[in-house]
Amino acid sequence: MKNLKKILVLMLALVMMISVVTACGGDKKDEKEEKETKEEVKKEEKTEKETEKETKKETEKETKKETEKETEKEVEVKETAADGGKMTGQINVYTRDAASGTREGFESVVGFKDQLTDNANEVSSNGDMATKVGDDVQGIGYVSLTTDFAANNLQPANYEGVEPSVETVIDGSYLLSRPFCYTTRAAGDYESDELEQLVKAFIVFLTESTEGKEAVLSAGGIVDVEDSKSWDELKADHPIVDQDNSGLTITTGGSTSVEKSLKAALEAFQPLAGNFDMVVNQTGSGDGWKRTLGGDKDGPNASDIGFASRKFKDEEPTKDAISADKYCDDAIVVVVEKNNPVKNFTKQNLFDIFTGAAANWEDIAK
Amino acid sequence: MNRIRIIKDRIAEGFTWLSSGISALVLIAIFVFIFKRGWSTLNWDLLKNNYNSENLMAGYDHIDWDEHGAFTAPDTLPEDAFFSEKYGVAFVDSINAAKESQMEVVFLDPESPLQDGKITTAGPRQGEKFGMEEGLFLKKISYINLEGEKKSAGLTATQGKTSEELVSVLDNDSQEVVDFYAQTEGGGLKGSIITTLLLIGLTLIIALPIGVFAAIYLHELAPKNKLTAWIRSSIELLSGVPSVIFGLMGMTMLFQVTRLMGITGQSTMLGALTLAVILLPVIIRQTEEALINVPDGYRMASLSMGATQFQTIYKIIIPNAMPGILSATLLSISRIIGESAALIFTMGTAIMDNPAWNSRGTSLAVHIWTVMSGEQPNFELASAISIVILIIVLILNVSVKYITYRMTRDKDDQKKNNKKAKATAET
Repeated sequence: MKNLKKILVLMLALVMMISVVTACGGDKKDEKEEKETKEEVKKEEKTEKETEKETKKETEKETKKETEKETEKEVEVKETAADGGKMTGQINVYTRDAASGTREGFESVVGFKDQLTDNANEVSSNGDMATKVGDDVQGIGYVSLTTDFAANNLQPANYEGVEPSVETVIDGSYLLSRPFCYTTRAAGDYESDELEQLVKAFIVFLTESTEGKEAVLSAGGIVDVEDSKSWDELKADHPIVDQDNSGLTITTGGSTSVEKSLKAALEAFQPLAGNFDMVVNQTGSGDGWKRTLGGDKDGPNASDIGFASRKFKDEEPTKDAISADKYCDDAIVVVVEKNNPVKNFTKQNLFDIFTGAAANWEDIAK
Repeated sequence: MNRIRIIKDRIAEGFTWLSSGISALVLIAIFVFIFKRGWSTLNWDLLKNNYNSENLMAGYDHIDWDEHGAFTAPDTLPEDAFFSEKYGVAFVDSINAAKESQMEVVFLDPESPLQDGKITTAGPRQGEKFGMEEGLFLKKISYINLEGEKKSAGLTATQGKTSEELVSVLDNDSQEVVDFYAQTEGGGLKGSIITTLLLIGLTLIIALPIGVFAAIYLHELAPKNKLTAWIRSSIELLSGVPSVIFGLMGMTMLFQVTRLMGITGQSTMLGALTLAVILLPVIIRQTEEALINVPDGYRMASLSMGATQFQTIYKIIIPNAMPGILSATLLSISRIIGESAALIFTMGTAIMDNPAWNSRGTSLAVHIWTVMSGEQPNFELASAISIVILIIVLILNVSVKYITYRMTRDKDDQKKNNKKAKATAET
């Protein structure tokens, strides 16, 4: 008798769990017909999503109200799908956290600093943005060009009619891009003279050599490889690379966005420059200048080269640095969910959406 | 008992079942989620490999290329491999755990000229014989094309980004190979696992004695007055401070301490010191709880036998409070493994392969942070690392539990032996 009750209550708990899951983990991608046939599969998917949410809950502090909201959205989505291609309903704006270089780049290109709509949902990383917008048919956000659009169920949108690609960024027709910048420490402010020379050599490798540019390009950075010289020519000015440098360590800091392209360049440079060591200690664009020329330059996290996925600000003067410039570009791509029929945005569209002037998809469809 | 009472009790009872059922289900769901996402990524190589691959470059400027004829592909070649007849080498494309494309050398003909390279990188190994090897991951190959120009192909070049393309370029457009750039397999967790264990060890060595003795003072020795109560409540308050604050404090204040030890930058030691401060409230609180559970009769009996206060503490109270202290250790271990915010400031985010107490490193939690913070967060790898963390926590928990069990059992055995000895003496 008692066991029976226990089982009953456990069943009840299970039912409650499943109902919570269906309430907030709605799968918007599937069509109605699929729903019937794939009910079993979907249930699994939903539980997965739910668990994902459960784990994220701590950081996102999702309230129950939001869950309810989402169910409402789901209803709307079904209506729009029936509508046949035209996009209606509320726009869900997604934006990156305030420390993000992508956000700064996006806001400065579109030109709406401090006017961001209060309804914007803040997400913590590029991947977070990709996942969230990919799950929300009403959503709009922005990611970097290196993002895997298909895997995240995203549709990259054109900006002012120009398709985002490596070519359009290099030829300057795609305007929604941000520079990846670097700055070195001041001359004479290195652990050793040799390290200073090695850093100089690396900067030349990164910005001028074919090998360096190809490495950056292969890791998603956008550079014009045609406009470069071979390292064999350039290295004549940098005799430091012809000695054993295994005792030297180049430490980098700053933006996490640059990590891939930076690491690719450093790795390609390592066997060309006497096997130096590298410490890629990226934490965020704000730390790039601070740890090379700013207040933290003698602290525990001092670095030799600092990076920012934006231009250095006026309060981050780089005139003391041996060298400070852009080494590649990264295109920011406006993304919407895959089934969203809107494929192009103008600067004005984006301004309206992100400042809240256009709250519904109808407002920009004209 | 009236009917309403019974119903009320049943409802209350049912509610407890419901709650435990929900928590159990949520836990199971998390396990299923992590294992489903991460299990396929997890393998032995991931655990034992270095994170940073070795970057190798070898040149062929001393080779007479005309000597070598064409090669034929062996029958054992995997189906997705592409074989270069001109150089006798085969490549396979793959995607690694970090979701980057790779080009692995899967076959090299024993006669292939590519194996007779020499290291071109300046340093002690320069000129050493080193050539293309099976198991290397090719990044780039430079060659002289039919027009006599130097060109390059491979993953970090503009052409030859797939094995098929690379092989066709090599076979159809090249006269001879100038040099190649390849990597050993990387992306492993070895360094982070060692750092995590090192960090746990260092932190416990620093935090446990301080925490335990502070608790002993507060509970056994301190006068029961307002000051003691105030100290106690401040310690409890300390446990509510976010760990980022501790990280900032460690970076500015504790860094001066590690500087005295001769460390110039972020280090595992700095991380351990910071974590020790974070853990103090937990350890003090837990130890005090354990001390409270030691019956007062033990103290009285010991003191009345003529033992001093410190003899009582060392010989009676601490041994009896040991299970509680060990559970404090367990809690601390979980906290150390889970901490990331404070460690980003104090230990950095650069993943190192040869961690030491005085160098940078990342614990597994910070490794997850690094994996997830880039432009392309990698859920699969993060889940795989989570599984590793779960396994480490499990092993540590079981071993601490085992130690506790042994200690209490030894004591029981002793008691039994004493009884037996007594009994035999009596008879």
